[in-house]
Amino acid sequence: MSLPGLVLSLADNKQLLGLRYAEWATRAPSLEADIAAAAMGLDDLGHSRVLYGCLEPLGEDPRGPERESDPGANRALPYFDRPWTSWPQFVAANAVLDTAFTVMIEACVEGDVEVLRTRLRKMLSEERYHFLHGRSWLKSGIDEEPLLDAWCQAVEWFGPPDGDVAELHKQGALSRGPGELVARLEERLERTAPRLEIDWSGWDPERRRGRPGTIDERTFGMLRGLEEKRFYPAGA
Amino acid sequence: MTDRQLNRVHGSVRQYEVFARKLRAEPLKLIGTVVAPDDDLAAAYARATYDEERWIEMAIVPRDSMTTLWAPGEDAE
Repeated sequence: MSLPGLVLSLADNKQLLGLRYAEWATRAPSLEADIAAAAMGLDDLGHSRVLYGCLEPLGEDPRGPERESDPGANRALPYFDRPWTSWPQFVAANAVLDTAFTVMIEACVEGDVEVLRTRLRKMLSEERYHFLHGRSWLKSGIDEEPLLDAWCQAVEWFGPPDGDVAELHKQGALSRGPGELVARLEERLERTAPRLEIDWSGWDPERRRGRPGTIDERTFGMLRGLEEKRFYPAGA
Repeated sequence: MTDRQLNRVHGSVRQYEVFARKLRAEPLKLIGTVVAPDDDLAAAYARATYDEERWIEMAIVPRDSMTTLWAPGEDAE
């Protein structure tokens, strides 16, 4: 996959993460957590817009017309396919997946592609508070199941040891390869990734996921509604 | 607020006072409070709750770390 493909995957995942956070803005365990969910949702939706805006300067926009009608064209992870039904799912996504995306953004900012170095830097300061939120709730203890799922999908998202991310690292576009990204994620979360045996033979390099599936219809409809063309004057 | 209300989600929480200022020439002023089990979550909550203005500085202090000289209804001496 090319660098624009990776950036599109990051943008789609940030967009879905933001939407899933926002769904918890009135369902979190406390008013403070409600507000934090809303604020983090807004942050991530904003980050996705910045990332989509990087595609053209990168020289290739992989978004095709199929994104209008096919939910399977969205590159978000299976973790975001359905609304979360429990707070531990929120926490696992907040701590592990949000931090995994941040670790990749760090690798972009420390890489040699100018548009990513400059445009993504501000995200890191905003993400600091997502990280503090996720790490604190993680320390308070959550179920193992969503945590394991989040770890597995984070490692899958970084990609196979000899895949595109490794190649982009070799080229200098990313400061870290897949193994180093996992190590950085472990360092930030102050815990070791669970032992995972990933079957890369079924991994989809475009959607960066090992499982088939798509986002739910309601969410897909909402995403289409978010497109700016909705506000174009009639006939434009 | 009672301890029971404060501890409604986590086993043990603290109240944090949130201070901020918009200009270097201004002193920090109290803008609100948050309740959290640790400094990390308190920082995240403070930023999420009070970030609507362009603060140049924001800080949090656990309420129980502040030394009260006197309280409402008490004499200053």
